[in-house]
Amino acid sequence: MATEYVKFVDVTKCDGCRACMVACKNWNDLPAEPQDFLGSAQSHAKTTADTWNVLQYIEHENSKGNLDYLFRHSACFHCTDAACEKVCPENAISYTDFGTVVIDHEKCVGCGYCVNNCPFEVISLKEYVDKNGDKYRKANKCTMCTDRLEEGLQPACVTTCHTGAMEFGDKAAMIKKAEERVKQIKDRYPNAMVYNPQGVGGTHTVYVLAEKPSVYGLPENPKVPTSAVIWKDYAQPIGKMMIGATTMAVVGAFITNTIISKKKNGKNEDGGDSHE
Amino acid sequence: MSKPQNSTVKVRRFSKAFVWAHAVNAISFFALYITALPMYTEFFDWLYPVLGGPEGARLLHRIFAVTFVLPTFIWVIFDFKGFKLWLKELVTWKKRDLQFFTEFVKELFGFNFKHVRQTFFNAGEKINSIIQIFTAILIIGSGVPMWFSEYFPKAVVQWGYLLHNVGFGLAIAVIVGHIYLSVVHKNSRPGYSGVVTGEVPAWWAKEHYADWYDEEVKKGNFPKLDDPTHTKKKKKKKGA
Repeated sequence: MATEYVKFVDVTKCDGCRACMVACKNWNDLPAEPQDFLGSAQSHAKTTADTWNVLQYIEHENSKGNLDYLFRHSACFHCTDAACEKVCPENAISYTDFGTVVIDHEKCVGCGYCVNNCPFEVISLKEYVDKNGDKYRKANKCTMCTDRLEEGLQPACVTTCHTGAMEFGDKAAMIKKAEERVKQIKDRYPNAMVYNPQGVGGTHTVYVLAEKPSVYGLPENPKVPTSAVIWKDYAQPIGKMMIGATTMAVVGAFITNTIISKKKNGKNEDGGDSHE
Repeated sequence: MSKPQNSTVKVRRFSKAFVWAHAVNAISFFALYITALPMYTEFFDWLYPVLGGPEGARLLHRIFAVTFVLPTFIWVIFDFKGFKLWLKELVTWKKRDLQFFTEFVKELFGFNFKHVRQTFFNAGEKINSIIQIFTAILIIGSGVPMWFSEYFPKAVVQWGYLLHNVGFGLAIAVIVGHIYLSVVHKNSRPGYSGVVTGEVPAWWAKEHYADWYDEEVKKGNFPKLDDPTHTKKKKKKKGA
């Protein structure tokens, strides 16, 4: 296995320039999604099928009653234990050697199970139209530029970040850096923390947040939904076993019936069976 | 195989409404099964091209989802009496129902057995009905939030996926047995033509649902089968 990499986002260094959004669109050939004014400098409410990262602008009243203007580069977290990968019925979502989570469009059937199970709500379905004018859907999200990683490059958003708010590197080193950064900023941001939620086995985008996750609209304790675990680890395998068991029972019944009626026919010339 | 002479006499077991409701239910169930199979197991991914791609499969699954909901209404509207009898039978459990199962296992595998007197629905059919009602509620109840996920809280949709899966798994496991008994198993096979035409041989009805048959005889609806031709049958019963 290749080295596990992590994208480290220090939101306290971000100046909200949105170059990461542009670089992402540019590298991934994603069309612009013009939006009406949403009431703040934020361009889009959240990530979409064509906008894989969105810069959040949050006006927050801190504990001293002052205004903090918080920014956050939001994109797929690339969970170690990804709910989307778990629920995909077509095995279209998989982990790469880099620890990133990617969608294979050849296999994706556009069912949307991943969309409804992602604890961070970063996956979306996109509608396409084929040559015959028929519509079809595929799931889309940030790939962490896995195609760039394969070529020895870093994700486009990281490369373009001019404040050094984003770094890409060895997992352990990045996490260490994040922890040290939290210590540095505790005076200014008493609630600062490393966001690397263990409910999903840790993530491959690790944040230093200035405030509690909920301030950024993030779940405090994200995890693979319990329903998804029961569904995929228990219900489905047991269901398949049950189908097998009843099928075996009727096959067994068919065989014993054939044997027994043959025996009876041998003994009894007239068939000897009252049942038809 | 020798049959009693009166084996040609048929009696009506199911109303036209039931026959239709059952057919719509069966066809819908299998259409739903086939159109979802490639999502349940990748082994059946080759079905996608057959069904017009994932989009075609999805559309068909939704069409048959609607028809799957209809049977109850068909039965209730056109044969409320039959529907009521069904519900009443489902909540009536007596010693004979338990006896039925011990004899049924023998019958299933072709060993010697004796008929336990049953009313309109035997205990096996009642169990099948109860499981099918339960699984239909699970499947339909979870299918709605899956279809219209944008109108439901995320947690409801997430648990919906699980319940849809559980409901389907239970239903198909039971249906394998249900179909086997009706189409393949020799003793219950007349039940299959019965559910298609609504009529079954009188001798078979009397043998399998003695209490119901006698009641209908009392009402004057069914012919008495206690004539000499039938006595011949009775003698053989033990060896069956």
